Amino acid sequence: MYVAKPAELEAIGLTYSSESAQTNRALKIMSELRTSMRSLMVMLETCVKCGNCAQQCHSYLGTEDYNNFPAARAELMRRIYKKHFTWSGRIFGSFVGAEEFDEETLGKWLTYFYQCNECRRCARFCPFGIDTAEITIMARHILSELGILPRFMQGIALNMQKTGNNMGIPQPATLDSAQFMEDEMREETGLDIKIPIDKPNSDILYIPSSADFFTNVDTMLGVAKMFHVLGVNWTIPSTVLEAANFGLLFNLQVMRTHNLRLKQAAKDLGAKLVVQGECGHGWRAAKMYTEGCNGAFPFELVHVLEYCAAHLDRLRFKRLPWRVTLHDPCNYSRAGGIVEQPRKIIRACVEELVEMTPNREDNFCCGGGSGILMDEMMDIRLKLGRKKVEQIQAVGDIDYLAIPCSICKAQIPAVMKHYGLEKFEMGGVMDLVGKAMVFDQ
Amino acid sequence: MLFFLGQIFPYIAIIVFLTGMTWRVLIWLKAPVPFQLTLFPAPQTFAGRVRVIGWEILSFKSLWRGDRTLWLWAWLMHGSLVLIIGGHIVGIYTLTRQFTLIGLSPAASSAWSAGFGIAAGIICFLSLMVLFYRRTAITELKRLSDPVDYFDLLLLLAIVISGMHMRLTSLNIDLPAIRFYLAGILTLHPIPIPRTWIFVSHFTLVNILLLYFPFSKLVHAAGFVVNRAMVTEKPPIYPTPASRVGEARFKQGGRIE
Amino acid sequence: MITIKGNQIEVDEDGFIADPSVWNEDLVRYFADLEGVGELTEKHWKVINYLRDYYKQFGIAPMIRKLCKETGFSLKEIYELFPSGPAKGACKLAGLPKPTGCV
Repeated sequence: MYVAKPAELEAIGLTYSSESAQTNRALKIMSELRTSMRSLMVMLETCVKCGNCAQQCHSYLGTEDYNNFPAARAELMRRIYKKHFTWSGRIFGSFVGAEEFDEETLGKWLTYFYQCNECRRCARFCPFGIDTAEITIMARHILSELGILPRFMQGIALNMQKTGNNMGIPQPATLDSAQFMEDEMREETGLDIKIPIDKPNSDILYIPSSADFFTNVDTMLGVAKMFHVLGVNWTIPSTVLEAANFGLLFNLQVMRTHNLRLKQAAKDLGAKLVVQGECGHGWRAAKMYTEGCNGAFPFELVHVLEYCAAHLDRLRFKRLPWRVTLHDPCNYSRAGGIVEQPRKIIRACVEELVEMTPNREDNFCCGGGSGILMDEMMDIRLKLGRKKVEQIQAVGDIDYLAIPCSICKAQIPAVMKHYGLEKFEMGGVMDLVGKAMVFDQ
Repeated sequence: MLFFLGQIFPYIAIIVFLTGMTWRVLIWLKAPVPFQLTLFPAPQTFAGRVRVIGWEILSFKSLWRGDRTLWLWAWLMHGSLVLIIGGHIVGIYTLTRQFTLIGLSPAASSAWSAGFGIAAGIICFLSLMVLFYRRTAITELKRLSDPVDYFDLLLLLAIVISGMHMRLTSLNIDLPAIRFYLAGILTLHPIPIPRTWIFVSHFTLVNILLLYFPFSKLVHAAGFVVNRAMVTEKPPIYPTPASRVGEARFKQGGRIE
Repeated sequence: MITIKGNQIEVDEDGFIADPSVWNEDLVRYFADLEGVGELTEKHWKVINYLRDYYKQFGIAPMIRKLCKETGFSLKEIYELFPSGPAKGACKLAGLPKPTGCV
């Protein structure tokens, strides 16, 4: 994994702590976090080492690396925590599983907390509901505050800072791409379907994933067609062309800053309803973290799949003659409460929907979750994606794999390609809406 | 020595247990939950939350959905412990006559009390042994476990074994004297402890457990409720209702600590 | 750092040039060899030039679909020209920064 250099860190407002200062700073931040985040304290202190999480974690099953077993991953932090923040740990040391930092600790944190996809599946099987994702989020935050983070994250954070989206798409390019997509839709449908950018006094603010303006164009087209048919007054803010919030994946302050962009854009463009696009963790961040990040949020907030499912009766489709299966993104199912809506939409758009096993809240992560999309980590990504590939194969012959999350859209095809299994189309759920839609002329 | 173990130590143990557990829970509850960590599927109402959490306590559902063998022995261990504790309370208080309340004769009640007690004790003993064995036999679990994980099981085993010894060699046990002694403790009028060594050791081991409880992973008893309450919290509503605007969760000062 | 015809050029860990303005045609040949691109034909140059023009104008790589439409090549053809694909292959040869994010 390529790590960000000091100059790169400074560009996004982080500083590199010298090696001698790192452990003290880590402890200081841990101490602050534990009293300001109940989850960290309770989850580190309540684990009884029952081991039920082991066989349920795709990361452990795929990599077969002991440190990827959720309780063991948490141990990387728990042992330090016990040593410094619990009486039994201070007094009895390794007898109770307490340990001091050594030269390898932070290196292990960097390695293993970036092999957790923050999928929360372990929490479904933990008797206490301990969420290793939460510990991973804290660990990554601490590391970033020490100046230790993947260059991949730094690059994205820099783009977010400069342009408000992960890819670094500046406003003129956004307008050009929107124009191009409008031309494509006109060619296809003969209709003047618009993708309005920065239109003031819009009722609906749609926040796409920036990837929808680069590779996952069909998702954007599906959404534009839907809004067109429904006749709503909508727009996309060029300042926040990003449903994703990578701050959630490596630094909580960056998360807060990006979340504020959302609130600002909604205010500036006068919207009443914010609709988030097909992005998993971005949905979790928007739905669950907005109030905590930036206080009261005076707008309605829904996900595009919720919106579409609610308005399905006003849309008309000619069902595609396809056999489709659905990958439930972790952040929709376990962390976001969106499970039946994509199914409702898919059933309206295609002839057959078959389920993977397990599905819904027990689904396995794609292996790219929490931004593990670095090219240099491809070998790890292949292992993290192994359970997912097995699930897909077990479904049998399909024409289309519905993947309503940008990170999954980047990970699953790449992994399937490596296994030589990309025999069918893969894309979002709104893509199907776009492909199946018929317009009353 | 017996004076300390019989009339001082029990108070130390109970005070440390109660204040320690309260302290742990209060420290947890003092830390805010800035972001809802709802784990779906989540209940929509408070009653729903109580039901979900209650059912998890009763059935250990998450273990059932995972490793069934672990579920079996963990459930049996906790279940038999509950029966044992409950049985101690009613059995000692009524001097094994609790089943006369459902129409049995005192002698039959004593027999049933003994029967349930022995059964629960055996199940508890067996399950503790199996859980101990699992920790040594399953590779990942062995690697994950700390010495204290074995210590906790051994402490519980010692309590169960000493208790079973009392039950199975009941000729030496003067239950009325024990009841009288315990009543003295509870009413803050302590009297000398009955001088049966097996009772003293059993009782002292239990007090050690109580003393140890708030500093160990046994706090999971309370941690369970606190954590489950956190992950079953309702997701936020947008737009933020007017009533909540003032106290909406919000970290001041520009930084999330 | 890589050295091409005596000049030192800074690249990042993914092998993309750090400063798009130092791009020249020798670089293209160098990267072509690395990326398993064979002989550089007119088709290659059409893609590379389109990418550079778009980047100069808009400061970012174009949408892949637009790249295909404007150059007249299907995505499959672009993969045939640049085995690593439009983002990781063609953009590298064209001296653009590596597209990042959920791609």
